Amino acid sequence: MFKELDPILHSQLRLAVMSLLISVKEAEFTFIREKTNATAGNLSVQVQKLKDAGYIEVVKQFKDNYPQTTCKVTPEGIKAFEDYVKALQEYLKV
Amino acid sequence: MSEEKQLTEQESLQLIANMIQKAKGSYHDTGIGSLLWGAVVSIASFVSYLQREYDFTLVIDIWWLVFAAIVPQVYISIKEKKNLKAKQYDEDVVNAVWLVFGISIFALSFYQNIVPVQTEKYFSQEGFTMMKHYADGRPDEIIRPFTPSLYSVYILIYAFPTMVTGMVKKFNPMKIGALITYGFFMLSLFTESKYDMLLGSASALVCWFIPGIILRNKYLAQTRANV
Repeated sequence: MFKELDPILHSQLRLAVMSLLISVKEAEFTFIREKTNATAGNLSVQVQKLKDAGYIEVVKQFKDNYPQTTCKVTPEGIKAFEDYVKALQEYLKV
Repeated sequence: MSEEKQLTEQESLQLIANMIQKAKGSYHDTGIGSLLWGAVVSIASFVSYLQREYDFTLVIDIWWLVFAAIVPQVYISIKEKKNLKAKQYDEDVVNAVWLVFGISIFALSFYQNIVPVQTEKYFSQEGFTMMKHYADGRPDEIIRPFTPSLYSVYILIYAFPTMVTGMVKKFNPMKIGALITYGFFMLSLFTESKYDMLLGSASALVCWFIPGIILRNKYLAQTRANV
């Protein structure tokens, strides 16, 4: 019996964001946008969904008088990501 | 990249691998710090060697150059931190190692300057002094206490943070530089202290300056690729 893939992660942009954040300690919103080539609006929506699922932490602050949004994966996010990759490997028998 | 596109399992794995690769490839040390310290320590050590070999003095102690380099280093660190858009997991570890290295070097320079003075003071309180006694009948000479061949310890300490950084960052030029420096340390145990300075100068080149050139070239290549 195959494990069902996490619907939060099984989406192109959200998976891309999680894959980026899993590789770094934390990243600015602009960094994620640059690496995913997503629009700011679309990315904001997906980041919010990941935040609501408890997979990432989002910190909004001001840096040199400019707003700065920093994202960081949570322990729940790491667990969900690991489970997702394991499920993928089971499907593909990797 | 759109959110709605339905991914196959194969595409998902491919996407994960691509994004991890992108994140890893996004960070490159500018190499300026390595170049700065490699140049400064190498010059100071080499000039110290020349001073001993050709017996001359300068208006100021050349090692003040190393202290002065802290100012541009602080400026570079602040500027680089400002431009950093993603923080790597290993960054805190590497920064902590270099901070401890800096503290150790300062502590060692205090040791080098304070211990001989204090030792002389204690000897004088106890009413004796260190003498050099010649076996061939020449008159005895008073010796001021000193820390023998201390620059060997500096060379040993140069290798430590370089090896850790090389291992954590998986950067072979620093690992090789550190290994060569451990070799210089062993060699310095058998050489006169003035040659230790020369070995220290070479250590700074292999530990920091040469890796700094490699890092700088990689950084510039990546910057050009992103334009």
